[in-house]
Amino acid sequence: MPDTTTSTASQAEPEAPAPAPVDQRRRGLPWWANPRVGLVAVVVALVAIFSGLRPSFLDVDLTLVPMQADITVFVVVGLAQLAVLSLGHMNLAVPRMAALSAFAAGFTYDKLHAPLVVGLLAALLVGTLVGALAGGIITWTGVNSFVVTLALDFGLLGLVALLYSWFTSGVAFSLHPDGMDALRSDTFNDYCAGPICGPPVPLVVPIAVVALVVVGVLFRFSRLGREILMCGSNARAALLSGIPVSRRVIQAHALSGLLCGLAGWLLAINNGAFSASVGENFLLPSFLAPVLGGTLLAGGAVSVVGTLLGAILNSVIQKGLNLLQFEVDQLQIYIGVVLLVALSLDRVRHVLADRRGVRP
Amino acid sequence: MTLPSLVETAAGPSGPRVRASLRGTEVVLAGLALAAFVVLAVTTGGNLVEPATLRAVFQFLAVPMVIGLSQMVVLAVGQMNLSVGVLTGLTAVAAAALMADRGWPAWLAVLAALVLGLVVGLANGLLVVLTRINGFIITLATMTIISGVRYGINGTGTYQGYSDGLVSLGRASVLGIPTVFLAAVVVAVLVWLFFARAVRGRQLLASGGNPLAARLSGISNDTSLVIAHALSGLLAGVAGVLVLALSGSVNASIGDDLLLPSFAAPIIGGVALAGGVVSVLGTCLAAFIVRLVDVAQAQYNINPRWVDLVVGAVVLGAVLLSQKRIGRGGT
Repeated sequence: MPDTTTSTASQAEPEAPAPAPVDQRRRGLPWWANPRVGLVAVVVALVAIFSGLRPSFLDVDLTLVPMQADITVFVVVGLAQLAVLSLGHMNLAVPRMAALSAFAAGFTYDKLHAPLVVGLLAALLVGTLVGALAGGIITWTGVNSFVVTLALDFGLLGLVALLYSWFTSGVAFSLHPDGMDALRSDTFNDYCAGPICGPPVPLVVPIAVVALVVVGVLFRFSRLGREILMCGSNARAALLSGIPVSRRVIQAHALSGLLCGLAGWLLAINNGAFSASVGENFLLPSFLAPVLGGTLLAGGAVSVVGTLLGAILNSVIQKGLNLLQFEVDQLQIYIGVVLLVALSLDRVRHVLADRRGVRP
Repeated sequence: MTLPSLVETAAGPSGPRVRASLRGTEVVLAGLALAAFVVLAVTTGGNLVEPATLRAVFQFLAVPMVIGLSQMVVLAVGQMNLSVGVLTGLTAVAAAALMADRGWPAWLAVLAALVLGLVVGLANGLLVVLTRINGFIITLATMTIISGVRYGINGTGTYQGYSDGLVSLGRASVLGIPTVFLAAVVVAVLVWLFFARAVRGRQLLASGGNPLAARLSGISNDTSLVIAHALSGLLAGVAGVLVLALSGSVNASIGDDLLLPSFAAPIIGGVALAGGVVSVLGTCLAAFIVRLVDVAQAQYNINPRWVDLVVGAVVLGAVLLSQKRIGRGGT
């Protein structure tokens, strides 16, 4: 497995001593210090345990299809956070950016009778604009991204609830556009060309795959993505190298908003309702997936594949504990503990790697 | 551990400037609070200054004040604590359960709530220090765990009539001032004394303001982090006790709506998010202003959702203003 972490060449920290020699860096981290390897092992082990305890865990219709739909949403949510983690920023407004975007989509469907795609575009547009607004405020004022997005989240929380109370009779838009219900409930297995039917994969899955590929290519191969990572690694050095840091910050936040919009729309489709509660539970998963996958909170390094694995782990745990008939509150306890344990293990890995003379 | 910030400043804002700016913030906030209070009193036709209304205003100011201080303590060392709201709920529900289900006397249950808050805060601090992970992520995880435990105690059930003595004490007034508000004021004074006079409090600020300089001066930054988190947990426990004494019925949803107020009060009050600066008076005044927004919503029958919108906007505006004043704004 190649090292899938996309990072900039130098990870200079202000307090760090002289950078490690080049030959040491080329050796990179030992394979066991790669969080992705650990994640795959944990996911495989958990799937084995859960399917051993409850054979229905491998039931296609009962478990695997809904789980894929869940993963679809949470991958995009994780990518939305990853887009700003690349800068060393945070987006605490992920839940409400998703909610506002879902409102925009629901509005176009319900009031303008738009087709499915137009609503998606409206959601993406609204998400992008709100994200760009957050990025703009951060660059223009120099205020910490945490505070800006936290305040924005609370502002949007009020706004979304008000919008729903103004434009709907209850708490959700009732009109569904053509194709929405098919997108929600159908898998490729329902579409056959002669005797050959597709695999039991929900129709929404390719959307997440597209998002994964686009974000992956962006951060690995495109100039824009590399420059965003450089800004995250060392904003000052990036500025001195002629990178328009402010613009990159705004673009990264706009990307985050765009992905929030996509996630909100996907969740609304999965739930079958455009309501104010869309995105409520996005905050923890948005950090869980990228951070478990090895994306640094300090910025400058992202792992798109790790985000996918983190989202899969999250969904496997949720589904497995659900099948074992754990209550919601116990589920929360375990998810929190998993996050803590995973992060602590990550720390242990780094310390061990440091001792072996390899700098992460 | 400071927050990620794009704008690098060669040297932090100098001490006297920050202090002058803070004092300015406090004066502005005091003026703003007074003006808002007068406007509200006049536009509601004097309804606000009726003894009953006034008592309610201050009664329900106690919890936001203490929860704001709870957040302020960790902001002082450049950390943040996302678990303050749910921890308040957990301590309240746990103490109610001890009284109602186990028959503990009220004073013992109150003590247990405080100890529980302290222990959870201590755990937060130790996790941050031992794992070296951003305190934001740690407390996000513990927030999830705590909210699960909080529901686990009694599900969605409600505790009522756990202690008539405690509740009547919580709803009583001394010289027309609600006891819970007095308790919050006492807590605020203690926190102020801690940061202004105690060696440990000064060390906390030093660690938050410049960790490297603090370390070179022989201060253990790790100890500062643990103490700040423990103190934050203890204050959340105090808030839990206040909820317990004031409401008379507690359930597992308590604390869900406290996260915004916990950040709003210190941020509007001029506490720097990068650490090293606190303002107890500013935090309390800001909590009062946020409370007035709530009162206005109730008095004018406005959709409660406006409160979130307004407070969010005010927080953002306050941050922008203070940033401009200290002169770090703009790239």
